[in-house]
Amino acid sequence: MKKVTSENVQEYLARYMEGESTQEEQRLLKEYFGNTKDLPAGLTPYARMFAVLEEKAETPSVEALDRFSEGQIPAVRRSVKLWPLVAAACVAAFAVIFLTPPKHDENMAIAYVDGKMITNQAQAMQMGQEALQEIFSNGNEEEQLTDLFNAK
Amino acid sequence: MKRTLFILSMLIGICLSTSAQRGLQINEVFEGKVIAKQYMQESLIKGDNVAPYKLRLLHTVKFLANNSQRAKADALFNIDMRERISDDDSNMEMETRDGFLYYAIVQLTDNDKGSHRYICYQCRPKSTKFDITMVYMEGEASLADLRKTFKRK
Repeated sequence: MKKVTSENVQEYLARYMEGESTQEEQRLLKEYFGNTKDLPAGLTPYARMFAVLEEKAETPSVEALDRFSEGQIPAVRRSVKLWPLVAAACVAAFAVIFLTPPKHDENMAIAYVDGKMITNQAQAMQMGQEALQEIFSNGNEEEQLTDLFNAK
Repeated sequence: MKRTLFILSMLIGICLSTSAQRGLQINEVFEGKVIAKQYMQESLIKGDNVAPYKLRLLHTVKFLANNSQRAKADALFNIDMRERISDDDSNMEMETRDGFLYYAIVQLTDNDKGSHRYICYQCRPKSTKFDITMVYMEGEASLADLRKTFKRK
């Protein structure tokens, strides 16, 4: 089959519609329907079909593509809500502070004098001991001395 | 952002106010609400440092108070004394002068961990003011143990 004619066109069309035609046969069919003017009524729909297939799709301009993209894809405001994250962090911190068992081996000895912190443990211990001795000795040494002298 | 800062400040405030003698009225004294902290001598000792005395915690403050400050400290201590175990001598010592506490050593109900709790107070007149010492203690020591350890010979 070298050329499509009014006699064999139905054979070519049958093979085309079945998807069995070669590229060469397809080219011949397009050529036939493109060049033949007086086609039988039964073939005119095929002529229109091949004419449509021959038309090349128009390439859109850059401006048209931009307009399309602006119109079709609305701008999405990418805002991440921090509030739930902060709330979760606060709850976690709260849980750690209040639900963690206290450390029994926590050691500390600090003192404050005139608003200044003293980290010297011995000095802090001395202050604590003196306060306790003062109270447990009923504190008033002057009075105890007075009582002692009066007793004599 | 304001809401975040508000919540954070609330949490920090809660954490800071959680002190050793929480739940007690005298906490106000320890927190410097009766006398500003810069006018107090304070010691806070925990753990191994007080373990030889069978204590877990020792918190003391000492300050000079005027009449109204002394009255407030006295009132706060008196409120906390309601939590004492009993009026028995083995659980408390107390002396009042002119209607105010002169000194007191009081064992409170044990904390939820079974440790004994003690509050102590002493108020000595000093010129026109009052020399006040206040103590909070926690530990396994009995009052007899503490008397034996800290009473000057």
